[in-house]
Amino acid sequence: MVQLKQGQFMQAVGNAAEINELLRRYGVKFGIYKNGVFNEQFFPFDPIPRVITAEDFCSIEKGLVQRVNALNEFLYDIYHEKKIVHDGIVPEDFIYISKGYLAECEGITPKNRIYSHISGIDLVQAKDGEWYILEDNLRIPSGASYPLIARELTRIAAPNAFEENNIVDNRGYAELLKETMENANCGGIRAILTPGRYNAAYFEHSYLAELTGSVLVQNDELFVEDNILYHRTYSGGKTRIGVLYRRISDEYLDPLTFLPQSLIGIPNLMEAYRSGNVGIVNALGNGVADDKGIYYFVPKMIKYYLGEEPILKNAPTYLPFYEDDMKYVMDHLETLVIKDVAEAGGYGVVFGSDLSKEKLEEFRKTIIAEPRRFIAQEVIDFLDLPIVEGNETVMRKADLRAFVLSGEKTKVWASGLTRFSRNPDSFVVNSSQGGGFKDTWVLSR
Amino acid sequence: MKQVNFYYCAKLTFDDYVHNHSFALRVIPPETETQRLLSCSLNITPYVSTQQTVDAFGNNVTAGYLKGDHRFLDFEIKGAAQVDHTKHRTDYMPCYLYQSQYTKPDEALKEFYEEIKRECTGTIAERAEYLCAALANTVVYEKGHTDTDTTAAEAFVLKRGVCQDFSHILISLLRMDGIAARYIAGLAFCDGETHSWVEFWTGDHWEGIDPANNCLVNDDYIVISQGRDFRDCAIDRGVMFGSYTKQLQLVRSILS
Repeated sequence: MVQLKQGQFMQAVGNAAEINELLRRYGVKFGIYKNGVFNEQFFPFDPIPRVITAEDFCSIEKGLVQRVNALNEFLYDIYHEKKIVHDGIVPEDFIYISKGYLAECEGITPKNRIYSHISGIDLVQAKDGEWYILEDNLRIPSGASYPLIARELTRIAAPNAFEENNIVDNRGYAELLKETMENANCGGIRAILTPGRYNAAYFEHSYLAELTGSVLVQNDELFVEDNILYHRTYSGGKTRIGVLYRRISDEYLDPLTFLPQSLIGIPNLMEAYRSGNVGIVNALGNGVADDKGIYYFVPKMIKYYLGEEPILKNAPTYLPFYEDDMKYVMDHLETLVIKDVAEAGGYGVVFGSDLSKEKLEEFRKTIIAEPRRFIAQEVIDFLDLPIVEGNETVMRKADLRAFVLSGEKTKVWASGLTRFSRNPDSFVVNSSQGGGFKDTWVLSR
Repeated sequence: MKQVNFYYCAKLTFDDYVHNHSFALRVIPPETETQRLLSCSLNITPYVSTQQTVDAFGNNVTAGYLKGDHRFLDFEIKGAAQVDHTKHRTDYMPCYLYQSQYTKPDEALKEFYEEIKRECTGTIAERAEYLCAALANTVVYEKGHTDTDTTAAEAFVLKRGVCQDFSHILISLLRMDGIAARYIAGLAFCDGETHSWVEFWTGDHWEGIDPANNCLVNDDYIVISQGRDFRDCAIDRGVMFGSYTKQLQLVRSILS
């Protein structure tokens, strides 16, 4: 067990209400659309931090760097020679049926060949202490701002905790992000594009812009002229943008290449990007690599591109697309978790154990009819973490979103977003499903 | 081999001033094994600075931005090309094997394919010609029923359409049959406007087939752009601001 000075937690716990009040005041929220109505939700903070030992972090760090490097190689390969398909490692169907594959990006090489500049890799720790990868998020994952601001507030509420324990300072994220953006910069200022305050990650966009010294922009302030992206200044002039951080989905980014009805895009951004005049963080077309169907192949990619054994394990996964796996899935459906590859944010996740006999039968038919649509995984018995509920401490499921930044080098941020499920029976920890978050302390020794 | 002169012009007029107008034109024919450009000039008015790129599908893209108020955008392209269909293009992309936005079949189109596929045998070229003929026997060429948003499935229900619709349906059938196929926008002698046809992959190179005329493509065709379907080949796309009703008026296209 981790060595932490007694009493520090309790102090933090005592201040939970105060911290949550501060978070509320700071506007630390996330937006969610339900039944077409936009609501801003408060993301509840739990004061008991998740603690990761220096030893554990060291192996997680190596494993994540390895994984993200392989994913970046994969993206380059898919949009160029496609060797991994020709060599029979990944079946062609999995690439071209994937909604994340964008033929429009064929042949485009982003600066320094980096596609996923900011990767959010979701992990869980099993009861035996082993860490497993649950999911890769390579399309600008959100969430880094929450542990940043929570840490800031905890420092105010419980300063002793940080003096008496060897906790790695997580304030380096801003510098790390700035470095990563600069490495993708094609000449010009840094800008963070937000669709506006009715966006799920608006708080995060404005916070990150402030931290990294980037300009927070909306699409109507931008235009492309002579294949260069410009920011319209208040005085009527223009400033060249060299790198654009965006969380808008690829298909809304340029109405002249993708969806013509998009009102949140920038016309001809694709032309500027293709010409190498602007870096886009993260690159377009990354969805092909974080597809739940492609997840199965990531350990194979690591061997294929890097010639290394994967350091971090995938959760045991089956693809009904393969005959053997289909048979296994049919025989063990009641103990598996089934994920719809097209869904995100905790939607489309079904636990076989939750289904009635009839529903199981029905679901079997759906899988047989559309084998490519699903993956099946063993349910990992993950470590419960303590959370405060009222006056008591209860145990709940939690995961960890680690942030991996690929600049000149690939680096893992020594912190992360620990999300937990408030429902004792649920394994789904996504913020959009009503979960909360904790700070993640990485110990320096 | 044949030397062909081409001319194409379009006039976009607006009933009110527009500004901050971004556009992307795909009008400069690509230089390929089959067609060599001897000359080519593009004229755009009002004057605007433009940039050229080549997109993922091999199309020449001319992009521009008109900031100030204007009421029209005209472009005119003319040139000469040497066309030789005994030489073949080999720029294959795997995405051409998969259904795309406009070609995704519905149940009716799938059923149609199921009905005719027993007879669909032989080499890839023979199968392509068979599918093209089957389509010509089922759908009638007739203007005024479909527009640029009409999908293959929608046109098939109407059993009527223009060259774009014939191309989409044939591409859908070819892909269902496991043959990679792409959409071609271009100019042809048999047509006074822009034309559209299909290329299928023989396993070695592309062959052109014209479903609206149920014939193979010869040296009387000039390719302007290619892609998965119409979406990748739109001659002009633009976004502009102002209170107006957009109007695209095709003036003429000539091959000689």
